[in-house]
Amino acid sequence: MSYLINGEAGSSHLLMGNEAIVRGALEGGVSVATGYPGTPSSEIVESLAGVAKERNLYVEWSVNEKVALEVAAAASFAGLRSMCVMKQNGVNVTSDFLLHLASSGTRGGMVLVSCDDPGALSSVNEGESRLFAKMVEIPLLEPGDFQEAKDITKWAFELSEEIRNLVMIRSVTRMSHASGNVRYGKLPDGKAHAQFDFHGSLLDQEKGPMISMVVSAAELQHGPQQEKLRKAAGIFEECPFNTYNGPERPELLIVTSSACNLYSREAIKALNLEKKAGVLKLATTWPLPRNVIKRHFALTDRIMIVEEVLPTLEENIKVLAAEMAPEIGIKTFYGKRSGHIPSVGEMNPDLVIGALSSVLGLKRKSMPEAFAGKARKLAETVVPKREMTFCPGCPHRASYWSIHNAIEMDNRKGFVCGDIGCYTLGMLPCGFSTLKTVHSMGSGSGIASGFGKLTQFGMDQPVVAVCGDSLFFLAAMHAMAIAVLQTSPFSLVSLDNSGTAMTGFQAHPGIAANAMGEEMPALDIAEICRAMGARVEKADPFDLEGTRKALNEMMEHREGAKVLILQQACALSPQRKGRKSYEMEIDEEMCLGEECGCNRICTRIFGCPGIVWNREKGVSTIDELICTGCGVCADICPQGAIKRREAE
Amino acid sequence: MVKNSGPYELLSDVIHKDLCIGCGACIDLCPYFKSYKGKTAMLFPCTFSEGKCFAYCPKVELDLDELSRHCFEAPYSADPLGHYHSIEISKAGREMGGTQFQAGGTVSAIMSFALKKGYLDGAVLTGREGLLPVPCFVTQPEEVLKCATSKYTAAPTVSALNRAIQDGYEAIGIVATPCQAQAIALMRSSRLDENDCIDPVHFVVGLFCTWSLDFRAFEDFIEERTGTESIAKVDIPPPPAEIMEVYLANGAKLEMPLDEIRKLTPESCSYCFDMTAEFSDISVGVLEGRPDMNTLIIRTERGQKLVREAVDEGYLIVDGIPEDAMEHLTWASENKKKRALKKAGDAGMINTPDAEKRSMVRLRGEILERIMVASQGCE
Ligand SMILES: Cc1cc2nc3c(=O)[nH]c(=O)nc-3n(C[C@H](O)[C@H](O)[C@H](O)COP(=O)(O)OP(=O)(O)OC[C@H]3O[C@@H](n4cnc5c(N)ncnc54)[C@H](O)[C@@H]3O)c2cc1C
Ligand code: SF4
Ligand code: SF4
Repeated sequence: MSYLINGEAGSSHLLMGNEAIVRGALEGGVSVATGYPGTPSSEIVESLAGVAKERNLYVEWSVNEKVALEVAAAASFAGLRSMCVMKQNGVNVTSDFLLHLASSGTRGGMVLVSCDDPGALSSVNEGESRLFAKMVEIPLLEPGDFQEAKDITKWAFELSEEIRNLVMIRSVTRMSHASGNVRYGKLPDGKAHAQFDFHGSLLDQEKGPMISMVVSAAELQHGPQQEKLRKAAGIFEECPFNTYNGPERPELLIVTSSACNLYSREAIKALNLEKKAGVLKLATTWPLPRNVIKRHFALTDRIMIVEEVLPTLEENIKVLAAEMAPEIGIKTFYGKRSGHIPSVGEMNPDLVIGALSSVLGLKRKSMPEAFAGKARKLAETVVPKREMTFCPGCPHRASYWSIHNAIEMDNRKGFVCGDIGCYTLGMLPCGFSTLKTVHSMGSGSGIASGFGKLTQFGMDQPVVAVCGDSLFFLAAMHAMAIAVLQTSPFSLVSLDNSGTAMTGFQAHPGIAANAMGEEMPALDIAEICRAMGARVEKADPFDLEGTRKALNEMMEHREGAKVLILQQACALSPQRKGRKSYEMEIDEEMCLGEECGCNRICTRIFGCPGIVWNREKGVSTIDELICTGCGVCADICPQGAIKRREAE
Repeated sequence: MVKNSGPYELLSDVIHKDLCIGCGACIDLCPYFKSYKGKTAMLFPCTFSEGKCFAYCPKVELDLDELSRHCFEAPYSADPLGHYHSIEISKAGREMGGTQFQAGGTVSAIMSFALKKGYLDGAVLTGREGLLPVPCFVTQPEEVLKCATSKYTAAPTVSALNRAIQDGYEAIGIVATPCQAQAIALMRSSRLDENDCIDPVHFVVGLFCTWSLDFRAFEDFIEERTGTESIAKVDIPPPPAEIMEVYLANGAKLEMPLDEIRKLTPESCSYCFDMTAEFSDISVGVLEGRPDMNTLIIRTERGQKLVREAVDEGYLIVDGIPEDAMEHLTWASENKKKRALKKAGDAGMINTPDAEKRSMVRLRGEILERIMVASQGCE
């Protein structure tokens, strides 16, 4: 990560959008950075942690997004510049504190970065965070390319200090994870010094206590807060990041922001519309720069708004257009509400091309059908059909095998409440379709606790919840507290793979090292649950029968919340990756294959990619390159044909 | 021969209809069917249209003539006690010492003797862990005693036979309830596995059975009354006592009215028409009024030979059956048969054309008629 701090001002570097944000934060003199891991945001805190020592930063993977924002706020209150980073769902989690923070205001420049995931490429939803900026009345900035990702981040700290309030930056997956050239600025030198002043009057934001006001005095704070927003709007009128590209009098004006800026420009180029269509790219999307918009709207009558997910920009623009109509006349709008731009999923240049063609009445040049058909056919033959599955040697596959079997054998219509992580795949065949509810982070445990309390209404189905180790601290712990208290009879299975595996092994309180790699005493989930009063057992998920028995045993006890901790490191974790415990081999003579007595349970049901079905021979074989040598499948085979030998 | 089907049919026609008694015949044949707390569960879908699981299940498409021909070389008869050579009364002989048996200890004595003589290389029995009956495979005569006494809940005993066969044992004895004995007979007569030219089952001791109990229901019932105290023995003394006795580990004894216990019987037992384990080499039950003796039905040559040898060598004592006991036995067996076949007939589960609906049981119409009119004396 040294390339993020080395490099002359003016030199160019190929950076991922998230790294550009990091460089911007460093150039902006950030001192404290916090967050909770979540794709596509994780690299920001990770990269800052990587340079924490050299740049004297404090970087923290917090227990959840709410705490992350609180920790960052403290730094701002003490006069430091701070940043808090999360994915879109995290903003929901932090929203309570966010509302209060926006009302008290900040001191040192403070930036909230939310990386949204249109199309839900690595999320369970494509919920969007832009609306929060409007709701809690803080400025929202959206970089439109990689250079801007850096420059806008740096500028956001200055803006925050100028208006004395938090500033929100919103990125999206294709902005965060794609790469582009970024010209470096200067890194500041000089040491930051923290001190919290509180001797001033209650309403003195600079020297008084930082308090989000009680109701009776709320207007004393709310008025000034809105004043800050108006100030921001004024600054935005002059903001160099709001740009226009196009002819003087475009036939059609595209208004856009973020990654859609890139798609729009590409679409215009592809259709040779440079002389007809212009792009007004806004970086300051809340509050909107009224005069900038007025100036550009005066140039044309037809306006298309290109953005992802909800018509947020579109609706805000339409309010302004309605207000300005007496001066600029009545405009025709194209966007999500007119059906030209889809309201779900990611945007891409093709979608913009489609929208442009339909608005401007162009014949769309699509692929000739003969060619498309050929391509489809070829794809079917050369690209194997793939279902989502767990990695070879993944402990979750083994855990779900045992959980599934325990539930089926128990035979009382038991079910499992799922949660968010790699193990969400437990709802699919690769996890034996075990999960029957999945919602937000940590909510599986709360839901399970609730199901458990329905015995009074005659529900006697055993209830199980699964939860990753990181999620336990994020939210499941709270559900557990009430479940133990209310003696809700459910079993929590903690799928402890020793790290926040899905997002790349970030630190959490259960791990003996923090974000910056310093050793820490780890918190013990088992001890925490025991202290709450829950019965706690541990098992090794690679011991299938032992795990199954432990869970069956647990489900028999109807009195109160119980915890089963299944501990086994992720197959991709540093401690397991590239290391085989066993050399696996299948005895072809013994393999029953498709006969009665087996029917390919290893390849048809268990489904570890390390075992492949040899159709010609009618036997299963181990793919040595893929097999991680966990040895679990040896216990699946009813014939004992899968052999494991200790690896040297 | 009846058409064989597969796991889906087993699921839909037996398990989902609550006809499964959990005998264990389909357990451990493959990775898909497992038994837990007396209940059979299918863990994962199996796609076969024909399988051993369906073929061995005694609760669907049980063709009585075919089974009877295989076991006795004669079609199924209307005799309430099935095919047999003789009926006697018996108890364990001096060689068996003073162990605690359910009744006379005939079953344990015969199995110990057969193992000792090397007629068997192993025996499938049913032991217990707490209240739970657990299938056991033993190879030493002394181990037989550890499984003595009845566990009144249905047990997946046949699963231990499946495992013993897979482990390569070739002369296996088994103690089985009537439904389990039917499953074993199905297994032995099945032509599904062409490779099996030797019959590893050497000797089947059938137990009389009027009903068994659903494990979970029984466990809840007992736990409510005994708390956490563990159970040492359960007994149903012969009529007219009408109680179940539960002996606790701390020495206490509880008595439960049989009327309440009978309510814990699984649905499956109410369709069962076999009281005396008709498809076995010998069948053993209690003898009314004589808690130290068994009723013993000898059905095959093999059974006859083993019993005689056991008597000669001091493992077994036999005597003639009193007339009133014989009468009561016949009446009780007939009674169960009529009640069950009436219920199955009313539900359309006998001799149905299989294209339309699978039968629970198949038997010749004339035999069915004779059974149904044989005696008007039943309840
Ligand atoms: C569920 C059940 C219901 C019964 N109902 C009647 C009845 O209505 N009328 C009657 O006369 N007799 C009935 N019996 C039989 C009776 O209880 C005795 O088992 C029989 O008389 C033999 O006595 P014993 O002293 O020789 O047995 P023991 O020498 O004590 O040996 C008992 C044998 O029974 C086997 N066993 C125990 N429990 C089970 C089980 N659940 N499934 C399969 N095998 C088991 C053991 O393997 C053991 O070998 C029933 C038995 C069972 C298990
Ligand atoms: S040992 Fe078996 S289960 Fe484990 S990775 Fe290899 S093939 Fe997969
Ligand atoms: S009765 Fe026996 S064979 Fe039939 S489904 Fe139940 S356990 Fe399986």
